[in-house]
Amino acid sequence: MSDPTTPPPVPAGFAPLRIPGWEDFDPARARGGGLRGHWRGFTTAVRIGWATEANWTDPLLFFIYSVAKPVSAALILVVMLEVIGGATSRQYRSFVVVGSALWAMVFSGIAGLAWSILEDRERYRMIKYVYVSPADFLVVMTGRAVARVAVGAMGTIITLAVGVVLLGVPFDPFRVDWPLLAVVTVLGMVAIVSVGIVLGAVVMQTRQEAWQYPEAVAGALFLVSGAVFPLAVLPFAAQVVGLLTPLAWWIEGSRRALLPDSVSSIGGEGSAWLDLTGTVAPSTPEIVVALLVTGAAGTLAAGLAFRSSERRAKDRGLLDQTTGS
Amino acid sequence: MTAPVQRVPAIEARDIRRTYKARPRDVVALDGVDLDVAAGEFFGLLGPNGAGKTTLIKILTTLLAPSSGTARVFGFDIEGDTRKIRRIMNMVAGGEQSGYGILTVREQLWMFSQFYGMPGAVGWRRVDELIEAVGLEEQRLQRVNSLSTGQRQKMNFARGLLNDPWILFLDEPTLGLDVSAARSVRELVLAWQAAVSGRTVLLTTHYMAEADELCERIAIVDHGRILAIGSPTDLKRRVQRESVFRLELDRLDGGPARLFRLPGVVSAVLASADGHEGTEDARQTVAVNLVLTDDGALGEVVAALAPLGSHIVALAKSEPTLEDVFVELVGRGFEDEAEAPPPDDGLTPAVPQGAHEAGEPELEDVV
Amino acid sequence: MADPAFSRAGPGRRLRPELFVGQADASPQAAADWSRRRILLTDLRAVRGRAYPRITGLFREKSWLFFEILLPFLTTSAFVFVYRALQAPPEYIGFVVLGGAMTAFWLNVVWMMAAQLYWEKDQGNLELYFAAPMNLMSVLLGMALGGMVMSSTRAVAVLVVASLLYGVSFEVDQWLLLLAVFGLTLAALYGLGMILASLFLMWGREAWHTTQLMVEPVYFVSGLNFPVARLGFIGALAVATIPLAVGLDAMRQLAFAGSQVSLLPPLAEAGILVAMTVLFTLAARWSLRTLERRARIEGRLTMRWQ
Repeated sequence: MSDPTTPPPVPAGFAPLRIPGWEDFDPARARGGGLRGHWRGFTTAVRIGWATEANWTDPLLFFIYSVAKPVSAALILVVMLEVIGGATSRQYRSFVVVGSALWAMVFSGIAGLAWSILEDRERYRMIKYVYVSPADFLVVMTGRAVARVAVGAMGTIITLAVGVVLLGVPFDPFRVDWPLLAVVTVLGMVAIVSVGIVLGAVVMQTRQEAWQYPEAVAGALFLVSGAVFPLAVLPFAAQVVGLLTPLAWWIEGSRRALLPDSVSSIGGEGSAWLDLTGTVAPSTPEIVVALLVTGAAGTLAAGLAFRSSERRAKDRGLLDQTTGS
Repeated sequence: MTAPVQRVPAIEARDIRRTYKARPRDVVALDGVDLDVAAGEFFGLLGPNGAGKTTLIKILTTLLAPSSGTARVFGFDIEGDTRKIRRIMNMVAGGEQSGYGILTVREQLWMFSQFYGMPGAVGWRRVDELIEAVGLEEQRLQRVNSLSTGQRQKMNFARGLLNDPWILFLDEPTLGLDVSAARSVRELVLAWQAAVSGRTVLLTTHYMAEADELCERIAIVDHGRILAIGSPTDLKRRVQRESVFRLELDRLDGGPARLFRLPGVVSAVLASADGHEGTEDARQTVAVNLVLTDDGALGEVVAALAPLGSHIVALAKSEPTLEDVFVELVGRGFEDEAEAPPPDDGLTPAVPQGAHEAGEPELEDVV
Repeated sequence: MADPAFSRAGPGRRLRPELFVGQADASPQAAADWSRRRILLTDLRAVRGRAYPRITGLFREKSWLFFEILLPFLTTSAFVFVYRALQAPPEYIGFVVLGGAMTAFWLNVVWMMAAQLYWEKDQGNLELYFAAPMNLMSVLLGMALGGMVMSSTRAVAVLVVASLLYGVSFEVDQWLLLLAVFGLTLAALYGLGMILASLFLMWGREAWHTTQLMVEPVYFVSGLNFPVARLGFIGALAVATIPLAVGLDAMRQLAFAGSQVSLLPPLAEAGILVAMTVLFTLAARWSLRTLERRARIEGRLTMRWQ
């Protein structure tokens, strides 16, 4: 009979990680990985998000997200212009096509984090396991959102290509301000993801029908971002809201980089920008600074909102609830 | 009210087969199952995970079509009469997370009462009574997503009784429940069957004690086949042809050898107080493990004790468990991960391997 | 030793036999034999039952007021301002407002019906629905009616507020026909929703993505913000196949009497809607049955995440 004081042999696969000098417990494992750990969690989440959301191997899904949705959105606006006809409408065609193409990234980014939370909570029921892992929950969810933004970027590029080839958008690669485009793209992605983080904070508190919320939020931001019409058309108060929105500056900067001769969505006759600054349109440095400032403020607010929502969700046991109706 | 005796069997299944398409190869979940369950019977399907129990119950509850074979529930064909079967049956599965978290227990059950066509007011009344019957009065206005696992299962059980089913399918109903909650569910099942006569229950489980105590008849299932069917007693009798007793005496002069010579005694060995072979224990009683050819031989042994000056302190009969039956049939336990060859024809026990070879520990030692 | 907890004697709780109706049925065969009246009543009560959680949810969690009412109103406003930027005639503002209102019902069909059975399977409710005796169409109709409370609120909010704010004036000559067209549009939409629900049940995870195909592309071909006749052949095709397109076109003609380019007169489009309603309802009935049968054969009713 075996000696009850002798522990049974441990199967090979269960052998603990042993650090010399710390045979029993390694406190380093509880300290966390710091910035490196966050980066690892972030990149892993981006890879997971890309693997699950990018649809290279599924032509139907690629078509839906990267072609049909963004191109249809642009075509709606183009036809609206054609319906009205006239010089004004022709002048605005490039304006709306570029704005609509860029909006594909906005929708993906806004929906990305929110849908990731809803999916993990309602469908895969994995959220509690993600939450209790050492990786920071916000960092992981942000990584998933970034993957979706990248998917949206494919839609943007395709829509722009359709615009150039079929809809007469005048694109000259030698006239594109590539440094500006690079800068505003990076800052813009941060701004987009921060909006997504705010929405993620909201859906942590709400129930399954929140699947539709990203669409609603993207649609509402459409109004004040200058994506498809100059802000000057709006009442003054709405224009001011637009000026405080990083998305408006991102679209202005991207449009200026891609189409240097394009009409400004921020400035122009009757615009709040003109009233406030006395200049017809913002300069390129002004655009970058405004994007940086509004983006930073938005990112800070988003982080605070998410942490607050996380605390509330933890307090009320919402993190692993299922809420269908 | 006592229902008249049903001539139509509750379940009749013939050569049911079910294959799932999967990579790298198809999975044969059921491999020719024949089953007859009489009306009013409490029948169990006992087997390890992956045996095919849930697949069979899903076929009988019209959720899954068999790849081949036929089955009838109270005479209604599972393929052609699905609506009729759904009117007279209900099902409760273990680990169920269904429902709408935002509703209260009362509302959730009422919603399901509407699916069974109950008038609104009748539905509310029935729901309130069932909530009381299953012991969820305090939770009746609590949202479903805040219930504990045990409470949720009681609610599921109440849902299963809403339409007063003629046959109730229970698919591992105590899965994941603690001892107390599992006991409550088992009591509820028995209470229901006792309260409404003539109702049939088909239970799938891998908890042997549950099947042993609840079921009138059990089918042991493994690898998509029924290996044996019978009452728990009959099944155990298959593997134990002799009667085993543990006899505790105040003294036994001459040791167990004095008993060994008696007619009907196959073996008599000393046992310690905890059942292991050993010497006399501290209380100065003598425990003997007796193996007799049958229960009748016990009388001879008892009669022989008095002349020896021995008095019986305790007498208990040891019975094989259903796991012993399973091991006898298949050659491995429920938890044994080692591959064992399936039986030749699915109906006769396989030659047991491993456990009975020399040098291998006996089952009781493994536990 | 036998565990006394498992004893068959003396269950801890006694159930009263009178709790159970149906004891009047002497046999399971009698219990299974339902009259047509009982079948119909069951289906109607199932509609009520399934609508209940949806409507109850609206009162228990009110974030939809912001996300489903206010924000969509802002989206509609965005398209109003596009036309204003183009200095379009005022009637086009009315088109956008009406289109924005009808969006609510389309999204209800897409999100609350078409993809719903797939989500119900994920949650484990689908098995219970199929194991119950009511018709699955009742469940879908209950979902649709329950969701219609939210959709109707949204549509009314967009219509009333946007009309007041942006000075939209309606000229309705034939109120009855307008209301009839509206009702027929909804009926056809929900019939289409039932067909989509059965398709999505079979397609599995693809269904979730296919709902995305039902948003902007359908908005485009349905002429949500412009007269669908402007799309030429595509518009004609849409009017023939998409309830939203033909219904919206008819309603625009009736709401803004004497207006714009249209493919067909409202009465003809109402006839198309009647045909669509009948066709979609019959097709939904057939597809739900056929696909249930297929789903049972392939085991899709109970397999999640596929």
